[in-house]
Amino acid sequence: MASSLFPDPLQMWRDAVTKLENDANTLAAGSMKSPEVARSLQQASAVTMGMQQVFEKMVEAYLRRSNLPSRKELLEVMESLQRIEEKIDRLLPQDTSVPKPARTRRPQSAVAPSQDVPPPAPAPATAAAKPAATKSTKRRSKT
Amino acid sequence: MATKATTPPQADPALTERLRQEVERAVQRGLKGMELLGAPPPAVGRTPKTMLHRRGTLELVHYHAMADEVYRIPLLIVMAPTNKGYILDLTPGQSLIEFLLKRGYDVYMIDWNPPTMSERDLKLENYTLDFIPDCIRRVQQDSGETDVNLVGYCAGGMLSVIYQSLHPDGPVKNLACFTTPIDYSKMELFRAMSSEKAFDLDAFVEKNGVIPADVVASGFEALRPASRIAGQVKLWDNLWNDQFVKGYRMMERWGNETLPLPGGYFKQTTKDLLRDNALYEGTLRIGGQLVELEKITVPLLHVVAQYDHIVPPDCAKPLVERVGSTDKEEVVLPGGHVSIAAGANAVKRMWPKLDAWLEGRSL
Repeated sequence: MASSLFPDPLQMWRDAVTKLENDANTLAAGSMKSPEVARSLQQASAVTMGMQQVFEKMVEAYLRRSNLPSRKELLEVMESLQRIEEKIDRLLPQDTSVPKPARTRRPQSAVAPSQDVPPPAPAPATAAAKPAATKSTKRRSKT
Repeated sequence: MATKATTPPQADPALTERLRQEVERAVQRGLKGMELLGAPPPAVGRTPKTMLHRRGTLELVHYHAMADEVYRIPLLIVMAPTNKGYILDLTPGQSLIEFLLKRGYDVYMIDWNPPTMSERDLKLENYTLDFIPDCIRRVQQDSGETDVNLVGYCAGGMLSVIYQSLHPDGPVKNLACFTTPIDYSKMELFRAMSSEKAFDLDAFVEKNGVIPADVVASGFEALRPASRIAGQVKLWDNLWNDQFVKGYRMMERWGNETLPLPGGYFKQTTKDLLRDNALYEGTLRIGGQLVELEKITVPLLHVVAQYDHIVPPDCAKPLVERVGSTDKEEVVLPGGHVSIAAGANAVKRMWPKLDAWLEGRSL
């Protein structure tokens, strides 16, 4: 796009947002190094968490009176379900459809054909030339 | 009387084009903004995988191979316990996992689930003497190979480094870390926030048991408090741009899904690592054993982010200086803590570097 004779106010605004963000972050980072600011922030955070906990207790009491499960109780049920799922996972047979390619890959740079150098002789039987590990030889261990 | 013809003033074509574009974008912003309100969360972590093992907060997954042949040594990635591992598998084309699979690696990942209250006392010992060794055994069984290459990201790197220094003769053949904190005295803001003067750690952990995710997330946000609001402004400005919105929403989802932390782990990392800088000082004891970085002798790659505000380069650099490996390399790449591993810069810089380092060491 040809350059305009007029400055772009939106681009100026975008630059200003970026500069403001950087300046605010730098200022905040500088302030955070002060122990007083850090302590104040932590105190504010502690007050917020304390208020949240009081509120949660009130809600919990209300739910109990209404004969409804609380979040904590639902989480306990979820944890139990998770434990059952983990046990089922261990009992289920392995997925045999997962591809298991041969473990014989060499770096492409090492196998790239060269006009000057003849192709290398087949490598001796090393760990790199192990046959593909097949799924049938493996199992999941149980914990 | 002769009349003189006057030509109308010529409009500035660039200005006209700019106005047209801005009007178009304003319309798009309105339309797409409405769509966004009812849009479901963006799909992430879609690379096909199998869950090999799950035990509470621990989850080990195996990604399905995408190459006809894979390298002999499997790759185990250890994610940071604070965040979900799909940051390395956001979407096709923006996925380190997909890149590694297509380059012929057999990739496994230790990912984390929110810890339950019964896991409130998990400590570094559980992560480095139980979880990682257990997963390595499972990777060995599943792959049929004895050797394993380990890759750790952020705190996952820290856990991998501690594991390796405690198991120097173990099955790990190569260790690659991204933005791994070692010298915690250089994390000035985190230290200020977690200093003894700032708050009573024991009481905080005792009261909470499991440290809530919003506390963990607010700790990260406090490092750049203006970025959230600025991000919202930039989102509005770019609402017309589908690619920008997609990327923003994926990152936002990842940030919102920050994980809670077991109180024991939080207490130990705050006290031993942040306050006492024990990993750097060589005084950290895990399961009664001293963690000595000098004991790490396997080939090591450490990728450090030049503009990392969470793990500044000075905090990460001692890793390569201190390990006993002779084959070791530190790479400082332009980028931030997350963009070093996920993002346009990562695609161009970090991924090819990791591949180049690993390929000859995975045979």
